[in-house]
Amino acid sequence: MKLRRTLAFSRRALLQFRHDRRTFAFVLIMPLLMILIFGYTFGGDVKNIAVEVVNQDTGLSPGISPLLPQELFIAKNITKNFDRNTLSLHENTNINNARQKVHDGKAWAAIIFPANFTQNFLTTLTTQPRTVHPKVEVYLDASNPTISTAIIKTISQTIQTTLKELTTTLNKTQIEMPITIEQTYAYGGSDTRFIDYFAPGVISFAIMMVTTMITIILFVNERRNGTLQRLLVSPASESEIVAGYALAFAVIGVFQSIVVLVAAILLFNITIIGNIFLALVVILLLAFGHQGLGILLSAAAKNEMQAVQFIPLIIFPSILLAGLFWPIESIPDYLQPLSYFIPLRYGIDAERSIMLRGWGIGEIWVDITILIIFAFLTLTASVLLLKRKD
Amino acid sequence: MRGITQKQVRCPRCNTVLTCSGDPGEIVNVTCPCCGEHGKVTFERSFDATTTVIEIQKLTKTFGKFTAVDNLELTIYKGEIYGLLGPNGSGKTTIIKMLTGLLQPTAGTTKLFGQTLPCKSIMNNIGYMPQDTAIYIDNTVHENLFFFGSIYGISKQHLEKREREMLEFVDLFKWRESLVSTLSGGMKHRVSLACALIHEPKLVFLDEPTVGVDPELRAIFWEYFESMVKKGITVIITTHYMDEANRCSRVGLLRQGKLIADGRPSDLKNNTRTTSMEDTFLALAGRKKP
Repeated sequence: MKLRRTLAFSRRALLQFRHDRRTFAFVLIMPLLMILIFGYTFGGDVKNIAVEVVNQDTGLSPGISPLLPQELFIAKNITKNFDRNTLSLHENTNINNARQKVHDGKAWAAIIFPANFTQNFLTTLTTQPRTVHPKVEVYLDASNPTISTAIIKTISQTIQTTLKELTTTLNKTQIEMPITIEQTYAYGGSDTRFIDYFAPGVISFAIMMVTTMITIILFVNERRNGTLQRLLVSPASESEIVAGYALAFAVIGVFQSIVVLVAAILLFNITIIGNIFLALVVILLLAFGHQGLGILLSAAAKNEMQAVQFIPLIIFPSILLAGLFWPIESIPDYLQPLSYFIPLRYGIDAERSIMLRGWGIGEIWVDITILIIFAFLTLTASVLLLKRKD
Repeated sequence: MRGITQKQVRCPRCNTVLTCSGDPGEIVNVTCPCCGEHGKVTFERSFDATTTVIEIQKLTKTFGKFTAVDNLELTIYKGEIYGLLGPNGSGKTTIIKMLTGLLQPTAGTTKLFGQTLPCKSIMNNIGYMPQDTAIYIDNTVHENLFFFGSIYGISKQHLEKREREMLEFVDLFKWRESLVSTLSGGMKHRVSLACALIHEPKLVFLDEPTVGVDPELRAIFWEYFESMVKKGITVIITTHYMDEANRCSRVGLLRQGKLIADGRPSDLKNNTRTTSMEDTFLALAGRKKP
């Protein structure tokens, strides 16, 4: 293998991208767009969920109970404490009207505090055994699980916060929860957002997509335009061709990763606690493997049209099975083994471990080894494929 | 008797090389000392019959049940312009692809410069212009020439000189920095030819190099091919144009994968008592003159 020839291949491919502005834009803007769109739309928790609140709580006047130095409306306190970012509250006086709104799809939930809510609450505190239970009724449109989960989570969190406040108001320690959960963080923290988890995945996914697609199209064109034939009737070896392109993709991959990372850091302030160079090494391995895959797939496509048909074939398993959006643990048991065959899984896993957990090669060596094997196999197979003659 | 060089001819009966005197175009009398055959020889284009460049033995290529090339036997000498003639699907391109090592023959062997194919080490000496344009359309003319030049390991300095020579020859120097995708079909073809010749190959395969090239440029191409041959370069060319066949040193007529005739254009015409290559072809193919 001659270095000068290998470099000639890389140089030509890179010059081609310089002239072909649209492809160049695809290479850069696709991942950037992904991080932007997902970062802004998918980036946090759900927001502005329309919710009806019916507050029939009559409360208690001061002096009724020895605990009560002043008047108390617990339902009002809870309503006041709701996170207005997550829930867009509309106060309603009519239960039926509130339910109807949920029914008509104008609200996701109706939260109903009954008339004796505060009273029941205080009774549970003072009388043993407990005979009454204070209840909050939630009439829910659970057709969107993400939203209904968010509503329930907000309600229970708000109730907890409100109860804590009551401890000071009532000057009593009794209302504290019987069990408290003490959280300490091995990795991440209470401020880790979905975007932090998502960014390493997007970078890996973008590299995979761009490298595979561009390789398929480049090699379909090499075959169809006859340039590959000309190369094969030259002193250049098949491994020089593959290595030359690999080098070009390495340059593109590093460039792409830097752009995406800088964008993610500037716009979303994402956390990177690990070694950025190790992250780039993983990116490169991922690119090499998928370049090989692209060359192999190009043999199965006769033209660009057919090449484009590979896109969904590559995108969907990667999105659904590699743990890009949803953790692999959320895939049904019988499908989970499939994810072991998707190289992107290891890329995403390694990138997340590096960026979010700050892990080094000692912890992610399995991912790296699998990516090296994948790259070695596909690149070797593509050299053999180019050598094959009819 | 077949003319081989200005100084040499080959006896058709026993293939002995005979030495005689004469110039291209002149008719000379020769007698073969070993078999007694004698006759008149016209020297057409000269080539060096002592140096074999391509030696093809029993070359066959089948695709499933279809035989694309059938038992081809052919020797091509240094300095020849050998024309492969035949209708579409007669096996011209398949032969070229086997001679360049792109296709694996089903049977038979090919030797280029004495080396049996496949052989990567001789590829430095070979130039190939495929039927497809076979250049990178998203690169400039200059980038294409430089890329193909560097693959052959030409030094940067020499490459600059060669690029200029080739672009002046194909009359595209002022288009040097243009993207190939913006050029016309004929211009792309000229870039393709320049890319095939940039590394000064000793053996050149040209698969229909003049298709879509205007008559004026076609004449320039042929003058260039003839000047290459004078330098001892061997050119194998496929063509549809019968007038181009007349300019070859020898032509091979192909029909359904078989070489139905092989020889100097004038000999083929004489043998079939025809005056044009079209008629010669029709006569040899067993068809009547329309």
